[in-house]
Amino acid sequence: MAEIRPDEVTAILRKQLAGFDNEVDIYEVGTVLQVGDGIARVYGLSNVMASELVEFPNNVTGMVLNLEEDNVGCVLFGETSLIKEGDTVKRTKRVASFPVGDKLLGRVVNPLGEPLDGKGTIQFDKYMPIERKALGVIARQGVKEPLQTGITAIDAMIPIGRGQRELIIGDRQTGKTAIAIDTIINQKYTHTEEAKKYGIKPVYCVYVAIGQKNSTIAQVVAKLEEEGAMAYTTIVSAPASSPAPLQYIAPYSGATLGEHFRDSGRHSLVIYDDLSKQAAAYRELSLLLRRPPGREAYPGDVFYLHSRLLERASKLSEDLGGGSLTALPIIETQQGDVSAYIPTNVISITDGQIYLEPNLFNAGVRPAINVGISVSRVGGNAQIKGMKKVAGSLKIDLAQYRELEAFAKFGSDLDKATQKILAKGSRLVELLKQGQYIPIPVEKQVVSVFLGTNNFLDSIEVKNVKKFEKEFHEYAELKYPTIYENIRSTKELKDDTVQLLKKAAEEFLEKFNK
Amino acid sequence: MSVFRISYRYANSFFQLAEEKKLLDKFSDDVELVFNTLVHSKELRTVLRNPVIKQNEKKKLLFKIFGSKIQKATSEFLEFIIEKNREDILTEIMSEFLILKDQKEGIVRTKITSSIELTDSIKKEIVAKLENRINNRVKPEYSVDQNLIGGFIVKIQDTVLDASVKHQLDLLRKKFSEEISISNN
Repeated sequence: MAEIRPDEVTAILRKQLAGFDNEVDIYEVGTVLQVGDGIARVYGLSNVMASELVEFPNNVTGMVLNLEEDNVGCVLFGETSLIKEGDTVKRTKRVASFPVGDKLLGRVVNPLGEPLDGKGTIQFDKYMPIERKALGVIARQGVKEPLQTGITAIDAMIPIGRGQRELIIGDRQTGKTAIAIDTIINQKYTHTEEAKKYGIKPVYCVYVAIGQKNSTIAQVVAKLEEEGAMAYTTIVSAPASSPAPLQYIAPYSGATLGEHFRDSGRHSLVIYDDLSKQAAAYRELSLLLRRPPGREAYPGDVFYLHSRLLERASKLSEDLGGGSLTALPIIETQQGDVSAYIPTNVISITDGQIYLEPNLFNAGVRPAINVGISVSRVGGNAQIKGMKKVAGSLKIDLAQYRELEAFAKFGSDLDKATQKILAKGSRLVELLKQGQYIPIPVEKQVVSVFLGTNNFLDSIEVKNVKKFEKEFHEYAELKYPTIYENIRSTKELKDDTVQLLKKAAEEFLEKFNK
Repeated sequence: MSVFRISYRYANSFFQLAEEKKLLDKFSDDVELVFNTLVHSKELRTVLRNPVIKQNEKKKLLFKIFGSKIQKATSEFLEFIIEKNREDILTEIMSEFLILKDQKEGIVRTKITSSIELTDSIKKEIVAKLENRINNRVKPEYSVDQNLIGGFIVKIQDTVLDASVKHQLDLLRKKFSEEISISNN
């Protein structure tokens, strides 16, 4: 540490003392009646509001959840053991809120907006309440811009639009978080000058980590920093070691920050990783507050818990600036059971789901998306025209392939038509495989899918499909850069581009097969 | 039902009786006596709460303690509470009665804590200022706490007026820690 000269200290002290007024301080208090398990019952605080923050001794804060006749039920955001019966509780006159502002980008904070990354205090514009009513019908418009995830399988068949809510669901270890992180990394393009030229607006990301290991969060932060994605990303972290109330409010804090970008006419993407842990945290504190349990011991309002959160995702009308908040909630299932309480709830709330399967994952199909049961109910309107054109036949080809997949082991005993479908299907599946942290720009995705659906891969062995795709892109980028240029600028796949593409593919196929 | 609601019902019925008989002052003196005795005697509270001791014994006990000092109606009220098996919340009922009485008379109980014993003139001044501020009569209760270092704290129901040196120092400490962490950036 640099030396501090005595006069500097005195000067600072004098300056601060000058601004210090010593008038009578007026505040409202209550007394702790009972404390335990992260819950405190408080007597007094007669004017307190629901979900107001209150101050306990030893710098512990709490939030009022239950207002009863003769006492107030508070959840504690800190160590329970620091609070004793008879302690004084102070009102803050501020409902639970989260600091918002552009300076939060690049930071890791807890759900109360306190920094966790050791980069000093956060400079914010203002506090916004974490619980806000979702917008009504008038304030909204239909989803129309695409949110590119950079994952071909998703962008082609399960497209996500800006302002949509798309659920990512699957067992543990199926790559749910990987999809979310790839999507964040892929938004880097939207912040470039080039994207601006083509009218693509930047997307700001919020990653809400609920009940995860601190080490996992550290890895995510390191990866995002490495990819240069932290510049437009905020991480709201309520790790497994934090008290249940913090895990419960974390998604709302993230949504509040997302709304800040949305309301200023920008686009935001909020990822809730994952909501099953949040529901479990809410169940814990509901039971401690003695609210009656229902199915799977979740309280009666667990549907409202998620619906009010996900309803906040929206695409604003042009009058309100046309901003958007896209939500990607993640749900972890147990042994593929999607009919459990929380998964069915969230499936019914969202505008579609991406279903990940351990079988596919273990068979090496990564991302392990089951395209048969994954859907996107609104994203189709948002897909760029070029992609829509090529993706239609992709879906049909894959559906046919899945139908006949069971017969694949009969091999050459099958008739010609079936064999052809199987051959094409297996090549398409191979084509849609993609490495982690390698998002693909949309023009390349269009070209790849075009190659697959137009039978250019038929003469190539399945194991060489990825190699062919990679080398073709290199070849075409050198010899026919206009193909990519045209798709990027017009967002369409016009006939002249198709001709050019076919020509390039035929040329390259000859060279490749030699 | 919550203790709060039950005690309110008993207290309110006795309060209405007192008003009807126009004996509120006398009754409330009795209630205050019973309340203070209960607050200061842990043994008495334990006895009343003990379910093993028979109702008759409890009645006799209360009569022995208070019988000669309180109105007949008050001692009947105590018996009535015991008969209804609510003697365990007697303290709450008594305090609820006193609250009702204060409300009726527009009295606000306040706790004034100071670092040193206050002189009568200062006490008067504080009470006068407070009465002016809240437009109600103030019934003060004084105590001394040397931890305050200087100044005083007034507690009116849930609101605290804090003019103690200790609180000022706490605020100053908070302010310093905040501003120093900002200036570090």
